[in-house]
Amino acid sequence: MKQTTLTGFWQESPRSGVLGWLLSTDHKRIGIMYLGCIITMFLVAVCLGLAIRLELIAPGPTIMGPQTYNATFTVHGVIMIFLFIIPSIPAAFGNLLLPIQIGARDVSFPRLNLLSWYFYISGALLAVIAIFSGGGAPDTGWTFYVPFSTQTTTNVNLAAFAAFMLGFSSILTGINFVTTIHRLRAQGMHWGRLPLFVWTLYATAWIQVLATPMLGITLVLVMLERIFGAGLFDAARGGDPILFQHLFWIYSHPAVYIMILPGMGVISEIIPTFSRKPLFGYWAMALSSLAIAFAGSLVWAHHMYASGMSDMAILIFSFLTFIVAIPSAIKIFNWISTLYKGSIQLAPPMLHALAFIFNFAIGGLGGLALGAAAADVHLHDTTFVVGHFHYTMFGGTGFAFFAALHYWLPKFTGRMYNHKIAMIAWALLFAGFNVTYMSMQAVGIQGMPRRYYDYIPDFQPLNMVATVGSWILAVGLILMFANLWRGCRSGRPVGQNPWGAATLEWQVPSPPPLENFGAEDPVVTKGPYEYQGVVADEY
Amino acid sequence: MNPLTNPTAQAVDNVLIYIFGFSLILLLGITAVTVYFVIRYRRSKCPEPTSQAHGHLGLEILWTVLPTLIVLTMFWYGWSNYLGLRQVPDNALEIKATARMWSWQFQYPDGRRESKLYVPVGTPIKVIMTSVDVLHSFFAPAFRVKRDTVPGMETYVWFTATEPGSYDIFCAEYCGTGHADMITTIEALNAEDYQQWSQPVVSAEPRGLTVLNEQGCTGCHSLDGSEGIAPSLFQLAGAERALVRGDRGEIIAIDSDYLHRAIRQPEIELVEGYDPMMPPYDEQTISEDDLQAVINYLMGTATAEPKPDARQLLEDNGCLGCHSTDGSLIVGPTFKGIGQRGVTLERDGKTVEIQVDADYLRRALLKPNEEIVQGFAPMMPAADYLSTAEIEALVEYLLTQ
Repeated sequence: MKQTTLTGFWQESPRSGVLGWLLSTDHKRIGIMYLGCIITMFLVAVCLGLAIRLELIAPGPTIMGPQTYNATFTVHGVIMIFLFIIPSIPAAFGNLLLPIQIGARDVSFPRLNLLSWYFYISGALLAVIAIFSGGGAPDTGWTFYVPFSTQTTTNVNLAAFAAFMLGFSSILTGINFVTTIHRLRAQGMHWGRLPLFVWTLYATAWIQVLATPMLGITLVLVMLERIFGAGLFDAARGGDPILFQHLFWIYSHPAVYIMILPGMGVISEIIPTFSRKPLFGYWAMALSSLAIAFAGSLVWAHHMYASGMSDMAILIFSFLTFIVAIPSAIKIFNWISTLYKGSIQLAPPMLHALAFIFNFAIGGLGGLALGAAAADVHLHDTTFVVGHFHYTMFGGTGFAFFAALHYWLPKFTGRMYNHKIAMIAWALLFAGFNVTYMSMQAVGIQGMPRRYYDYIPDFQPLNMVATVGSWILAVGLILMFANLWRGCRSGRPVGQNPWGAATLEWQVPSPPPLENFGAEDPVVTKGPYEYQGVVADEY
Repeated sequence: MNPLTNPTAQAVDNVLIYIFGFSLILLLGITAVTVYFVIRYRRSKCPEPTSQAHGHLGLEILWTVLPTLIVLTMFWYGWSNYLGLRQVPDNALEIKATARMWSWQFQYPDGRRESKLYVPVGTPIKVIMTSVDVLHSFFAPAFRVKRDTVPGMETYVWFTATEPGSYDIFCAEYCGTGHADMITTIEALNAEDYQQWSQPVVSAEPRGLTVLNEQGCTGCHSLDGSEGIAPSLFQLAGAERALVRGDRGEIIAIDSDYLHRAIRQPEIELVEGYDPMMPPYDEQTISEDDLQAVINYLMGTATAEPKPDARQLLEDNGCLGCHSTDGSLIVGPTFKGIGQRGVTLERDGKTVEIQVDADYLRRALLKPNEEIVQGFAPMMPAADYLSTAEIEALVEYLLTQ
C-alpha cells in the first residue's frame, strides 16, 4: 500500500495552502472542514461522558467534586448537542453530498455556506472560552432551566451566546439547503427521483429555518434576565419560570428531529445499496420524513408533564406525541421490507445501519412509555430518560453517522479502510453501547434521578455495569477512528463506485473533482435505487 | 420492580407493564424478522435479488393503521390512569411542603414543621408544594409520584402508604451542587405510632406570655428587642439596666425581685431614658400566680415551653444543606467556628469587616441578603418565619460553634 496524495477537490482550488480551505466556497471543502471540527468536538465530549460514567461507578466522590461533575455533564451535553449531533450529518455529510446527489455543482449560496461554517467555529470557540473563563464552566445542564440558570454565578452568559451563534450557523445551512433542493436539481431529477437522504435533509432544513430562531430568542431572554434582571421568568415579579420551558422546548424538541431525520436518510441510502433492491415504499418514506418534521413541531411540552403545567395541556401533548410515533414506525417497517428477497451484503456500513434500526427501535419504543402521561410521571427526569435519548441520539444518529463515515469516506478520500477491523470495532460499539444504556434505562426504572452526582447503594450494581459498558464503547471508538484514519491515509485506492450504488455521487470520480461533474451537466434518467446494470468496482 | 400495593404505584405500573410488554413483543418481532432476512437473503446464497418491488400500498396502509390503533390505546390508558394521580381523595390529609436548596420542609395543619414526611398508613396524603428558590421536583419512587416545585406557584401530589416503612424522596429536577443530596424520606407509621408522633411536643403557649398579651403589656413592650415607647422585654434575664430612683442613678442586673417591683410599683424605679407612664398592676389585676408566671417567662425559666433545640432547627429548616458544621465549603459559609471569627461583609455596595456577634447573627438570619459575606452569592432565604425563641436558640448555638 503505497501512500499517495489525495486528488480531486483536495488539490483543485483557486487558492493554495490553508487559505485554499479557509476561504473556499466549495461545498466539499466546507463539508470536510465541518467533518474535522465535528469529529474533534465529538471526541472531546466522549471523554467528558467517560468521566461522568467513571464518577458514577460507585456512590460518593470518585474522581471529582459535585461542582465539577455538574459542569462536566453540562459541557458534555452542550458540545454533543450543539457542536456534534445537530451539525453532524446535515452540515458535514449534507454539504459533502447534497449538491452531488441532485446533480448540482455547488449549493445555491456558496459564500453563505462558508459564513455558516464561520458561525459554527466561532460558536465552538466561544463555548470553549466559556468553560475556562468567568465564574467557571456553566453548571446548568444543556437545558438552561430558569430560575437556576439566572441565579448561578457560573459563565452562563457566554455559553448561551455561543449556542446563539451556533443557531445562526444552523439557520443559514437550512436556508441554503432548501433553496438548493428547489432550484439546482439536474435535468430529469424530479421530486420522485430525489434520494431519501435529500428528502430528509429537506425536511430537516425547514425545521432549522423555522424552529431555530425560537432558540435564539429564548437564549437572549435568559441573558436579559441575567444581565438586566428583566424579571420575565421570575414569579415574584409577574414572570413565569414555566414559560421558559415552553420557549426552550419549542425549539429543542423539533431539534431532536433535526438530529435524527438526516440519520434516517443515511440508513435509507445504505440499506437498498447493500440489498441491491429499491427502497421499499419510496413515497411513504419521503412523506413520513415531512410528517415527522411537521408533527414533531407540535409535541414540545411532552418534556413538561411534571412541570406544573395544566392537565389539559398534558392531554393534548400526550396525544400528539403518540401521533408522531407512527411515521417512525412506518420507516422501520419499510427498511425491513427492503431486505426481503434482496441480496444482502454485511459490509461495515450495512452493519451500522442494521444496528441503527435495532437501537432506534428501542429508543422509539421507550419513547412510548415516556409519552404516556401516567408512565411518564414515574420515568420523567430519571436515568431512564438519559438512556432513552442516548438510544435515539447515539444509538440512532451516532450509528447513522458511523454508517455514513464507512459508506462515504471512501468516496471522498478515494481509499478503503480495513473491513475486518471495521467489523470488530462495530461489534465492540454495538455491545458496549447496549450494555451502557440498557443499564441506565433499568436503573432509571428503579427510580434513580438524572444529573445525580451521588446515589443510594441500591443503584450501584447497574451503575457499575453501565460504566464497564462505557469502556467497551471507548475501545470500539478508538479502533473505529484509527481504522478509518489509516484507511484515508494509506488504504487501498477505490474506483468511483465501490459499493455498486445507484445515486449520482457514485457516478463521479473518487474523490470528486471541483464542481463535481465534468464539462457537461448530468442528466438523470432513472430513480436513485435502480440497481440493475450497476456494477460494483473491485478494490 | 417490586409489586407495590399502594394505589398510585399500581396506576403507574399497570401502564408501564402494558407499554413495555407491547414494546418488547414489537422489538423481538422486528429483530427476529431482520435477522431472518439477513441470513436467508445473504449475498453468498442470493447473488442477485429475487424481487424488485418498489412498495405495496396495502402493506403501507396496514402498518400505518395498526400502529395507530396500538399507540392510541397506550395514549388512552396512560391518560386515564394519569387522571387518577391528579384526583385527590376527599379525606386526604393536607401537608405543605417547601423545597429549597437543598432540603425539604413539611408543615402540618397544626403548624408543626418537620424535615421528614411523617404520614399515617392508610390515609391519603396530599402534599401541597412550593419552592423558595429554584425548581425542584418531589419524587417518591415507591409511590410513582413526581411533580416539580415551582417558586411562586403551588403544585401537588397525592399518595397513600399502605404499609409502614421508610420510603425515599428524591429531588428530580436539577438544582445545583447539592441536587443529589436533596434526599429525605416518607416515614409511614401505623395508627398507634402516628398518634404518638402527632402528640404536640410543644404544649400550649406559656401562661406568662398569655398574661403579657392579655394585659396589653406587649402594646408598649416589644418581645423581640425592637425599640418602642417602653423598654423591650427581650432577653431580660441578667441584663444590666441603668435605673433612676428618685434623683439617684443606679445600674442593676435584672432579677425576679426587680421585675416583681417593676410590675407592682412601676413608678418607683424608672429605666433611664423612659417616661413614668406605666400603670401599676395590683393583685386584682394580675394575681400573684400569674405575676410569677410572667416573671418566669421573662426570666426564661418558664417551664411550659422547653428551649428550642437549635441543632434540630438547623436540620429541620434545611440550613445544613448549604452551611456545613465541619468546616467544609458547601454553598454558604461553614458554621464551624462562626462564633469566633471576623468576616468581611458587603453592605450597600461597601465592604466592611466585623467580628461575628449575636446582633450580626440575628440580622443574618432575619435579613440575610442585606449583608453578604464576601465571596458568596445573595441567595439565602430569610428565616423570618421562626419564633423569637427559635432565633435566639440558633444565635446562642451558633456563637458556641
